[in-house]
Amino acid sequence: MKLRGIGVGSMMYGLGYGFARPDFSTTDIELAPDGTVTIWNGASELGQGLQTLLCQLVAEELGIPYEDTFIITADTGRTPDAGPVSASRSTYVQGNSALKACRDLKKPMAELAGELLKTDPDQLIFKKGLVQDQNEPSRSISFTNLAGGMHQRGRRVRGSGYHSITTGDVDKETSQGDAYATYAWASQLAEVEVDTETGQVTVLRLASATDAGKAINPKMVEGQIEGGAVQGLGFALMEDMKIEQGEFKNAKLSTYLIPTAADVPMVEPLIVEVYDPTGPYGAKGVAEPATIPTAPTIFNAIANALGQRVRFTPATPEKMLKLLGKLEEKEEQITIEDMPYPEP
Amino acid sequence: MTILNETLQEEELKIQTPSISRKDEYESVGKSVLRKDSVPKVTGKAIYTGDLHMPGMLFGKVLLSTQAHALIKSIDVSAAAAVPGVKAVLTSRDIPGENAFGIAIPDQQVLAETKVRYIGEPVAIVAAEDIFAAEQAISQIQVEYEPLPAVFSPFDALKPGAPAVHAKGNILYHTKVRKGNIERGFDEAAIIVENIYRTSGQDHAPIEPEAGFAWIDAEGVLNVFSGTQYAFRDRRQIAIALNLPMNRVRVANMTMGGGFGRKDDVTAEILVALLAWKTGRPVRLVYSRHEAMMSQTHRHPTYTRVRTGANKEGKLTAMEGVIYGDTGAYASLGLFVIKKMALHLGGPYYYPNYKSDSFSVYTNNPIFGAFRGFGVLQAAVSHEGQIDELAEKLGMDPIEFRLRNCLRPGLSFSTGQLMTNACGIATTLERLQDYLVENGLSIELHPEVSA
Amino acid sequence: MDENNLIKMELTVNGEAVSMIVKGGRRLLDFLRDDLHLTGTKEGCGEGECGSCTVHLDGQSVLACLTPMERAIGCSVLTIEGVGSPTNLHPVQAALLDEGGVQCGMCTPGMVMSALDLLERNPDPTIEEIIEGISGNLCRCTGYKKIIYGIQQAAQELQAASPAGTVKESVE
Ligand code: FES
Ligand code: FES
Repeated sequence: MKLRGIGVGSMMYGLGYGFARPDFSTTDIELAPDGTVTIWNGASELGQGLQTLLCQLVAEELGIPYEDTFIITADTGRTPDAGPVSASRSTYVQGNSALKACRDLKKPMAELAGELLKTDPDQLIFKKGLVQDQNEPSRSISFTNLAGGMHQRGRRVRGSGYHSITTGDVDKETSQGDAYATYAWASQLAEVEVDTETGQVTVLRLASATDAGKAINPKMVEGQIEGGAVQGLGFALMEDMKIEQGEFKNAKLSTYLIPTAADVPMVEPLIVEVYDPTGPYGAKGVAEPATIPTAPTIFNAIANALGQRVRFTPATPEKMLKLLGKLEEKEEQITIEDMPYPEP
Repeated sequence: MTILNETLQEEELKIQTPSISRKDEYESVGKSVLRKDSVPKVTGKAIYTGDLHMPGMLFGKVLLSTQAHALIKSIDVSAAAAVPGVKAVLTSRDIPGENAFGIAIPDQQVLAETKVRYIGEPVAIVAAEDIFAAEQAISQIQVEYEPLPAVFSPFDALKPGAPAVHAKGNILYHTKVRKGNIERGFDEAAIIVENIYRTSGQDHAPIEPEAGFAWIDAEGVLNVFSGTQYAFRDRRQIAIALNLPMNRVRVANMTMGGGFGRKDDVTAEILVALLAWKTGRPVRLVYSRHEAMMSQTHRHPTYTRVRTGANKEGKLTAMEGVIYGDTGAYASLGLFVIKKMALHLGGPYYYPNYKSDSFSVYTNNPIFGAFRGFGVLQAAVSHEGQIDELAEKLGMDPIEFRLRNCLRPGLSFSTGQLMTNACGIATTLERLQDYLVENGLSIELHPEVSA
Repeated sequence: MDENNLIKMELTVNGEAVSMIVKGGRRLLDFLRDDLHLTGTKEGCGEGECGSCTVHLDGQSVLACLTPMERAIGCSVLTIEGVGSPTNLHPVQAALLDEGGVQCGMCTPGMVMSALDLLERNPDPTIEEIIEGISGNLCRCTGYKKIIYGIQQAAQELQAASPAGTVKESVE
């Protein structure tokens, strides 16, 4: 018999490290005489799109074309330390440091532009390749020409931005306190079909409403959501790390199975944008929020289909048949007696 | 562009344009621009660590422990060193600096010295003229182990008299979260659900297995290239192990084939640096898939007992939980993963009363560390199971029940921290409600049978 | 190195004649990566599970990690380096970029080679056929959706560019 069900699951995730762990980033930026810029940031491109994201932020902040940015990342011989790439912090922390580097560079640029345009540097905005007086639009200079002028006059053409979200620590005994700089949010919905004869669970539909704050690059955000949810699906249903007497028994891709294209639905990313005033252009990270709720979402859909709850991972066909009472459970189960709640 | 001339000022001022306001739409932000790194990747031109090559390059290989917990009585490398083409066979004795590293606390050995703590722990390394000689040398290394009693679950590790994985005991960290009055919270509950949840380990399986490449440049700087999530921490740890000033070590990240948390730890970096330092030659060390899976970190397996109460109106009144996280043989980030899990065990909901304890426990299993989700993923299996079950028992729509209880600006998290306006959980749930309508779906319609 | 195990590799790689005396008894993957320095072909598992080492041997998709190098003697090998260049991308490559199907990129060369093989056999594949065509290629980053759509987009472009129906008939 094949039964279908729909379930939902939600999550929150404290962004960054918390607990007084160093949580900072530095970005350097240099203006060339032709108006192109080079960005140095010590964070790593893992495939998540950090380089692209930082370039987009810089292009926006300086009002120049994205194509005019070039970035060098994660090299202790060249880049400033930007902290690790983890905890979904890159957009938030490294992104903010890139914006600050731009603002640092814009200061001397605005000074020169103010001199040239005979206007108040504070009234200048950088947009669409121009540096322009926002009150008197006729007073403007192209970013490119201003860049040349900066070099010709020997002005400072390098900017640096440091951003830290290092928090205080929470109380040792109660963990009360401000734990994280901000939080990320997501809710997912899955539709599954469970074959009660074979125990096979097929995910027919997986939609993820993920709060990106502001999607700096929507396609990359979608990519994070789609890939993250599929990793969560693997965790929920397939990836069975068999450890016996300390030995990882199936440490090969032929025996430790991760999802193939044939195992997954077309994940539907539903980008939600709840502006975060502390993030760059309101943005925050999405990498982990995309993965976190998937397994319980699938399990809730299974519960909706079967009326029986999965409280373990992974829900492989074999373990599903045990849950359905069609296969004998031989493993010793942990019981409530094994896990007393510690005293207050 | 010829802009550098004396009449620049005139030139500079020539361009006049229409007004641009601060508020108009973004130019780059919000656009799906072409990724900076994608053209090299799609044409096969991007250079990953394992693609690096230099004249005179040696091939590195690692010998991994076959024992979960054992004393090393002796290591005989003479036969390995005699294999033609072998340039170095190194053990813990050959480490110039400290034989200790670790992402949070340095409890890990670069090469096992007197004791191994998991199957897959690096014991010796080899550099040779080709990979076949390196493989042959590895097979010739004789390690004499004296097996010790071992522990393979956090429960066994916490039993009185359990074998100690580390001298300081098997509890790495105990996190306590205490908010409100848990007894009163459960007194106010009309319904309480209590369950045990068990999550398994997970391998990150980045399609690029871990690798490192090292060489010494003309200035004597030790250069290490790898796929790493934090080059600066690697540099520090390499310098300490090799007893070098930190500014004489350079670590650079190559194009990287995924990390997902695992490459936040040192992977091949110190080992390949040692080989290059000892031989004076460039060395490339690429883990096989099997070696990577055996030696590197994974997602923490966890056991959670939790009870959650709600009143008749469907408002959560209390949550109490206890978590045992298996951090394996070394700490890696196991302290923070399991700590974060305790804070997030309730999920994105408001609980006036909240109590949780988590124990991060050493065992002789492989190392468990950072992996996308970082403890919160394991917590979600529990809290979403609990919330869904409560909604079902109260006869409420699961999304409505979540909306009724989710955090909102001004409500507090388990740590008492107040949520700001950037609290987006309700918006994501409402988006799912819209999605159901858009797709003509409803959650109550099930189960539906389609034999 | 065992002097007796030297062999002569004479073959065509990416349209160019290659003749080399190298150590034999290795995998085609080693020959391509270590001897020819064509490192666009990746090794993700070494046991035929991930597809990242996919190349074409006489027009057929093969896994270079399971193919003895000697099998390629006298054959024509196509690797990712022979598919398109940064300034002249193959439509499959361009479509993968356009759709956002490239993240870490480790699976990408193998995906491109599998997609080319699929489109040669079946120029107008359904989504299911595309999924089937790349189901031997693991990707840990993207969740596959954007890769699948990228291949579909490329197929449509290639179809539009080629005279209608000509290729398809020969397959069916
Ligand atoms: S490396 Fe050949 S299939 Fe994985
Ligand atoms: S893009 Fe990373 S494995 Fe496919």
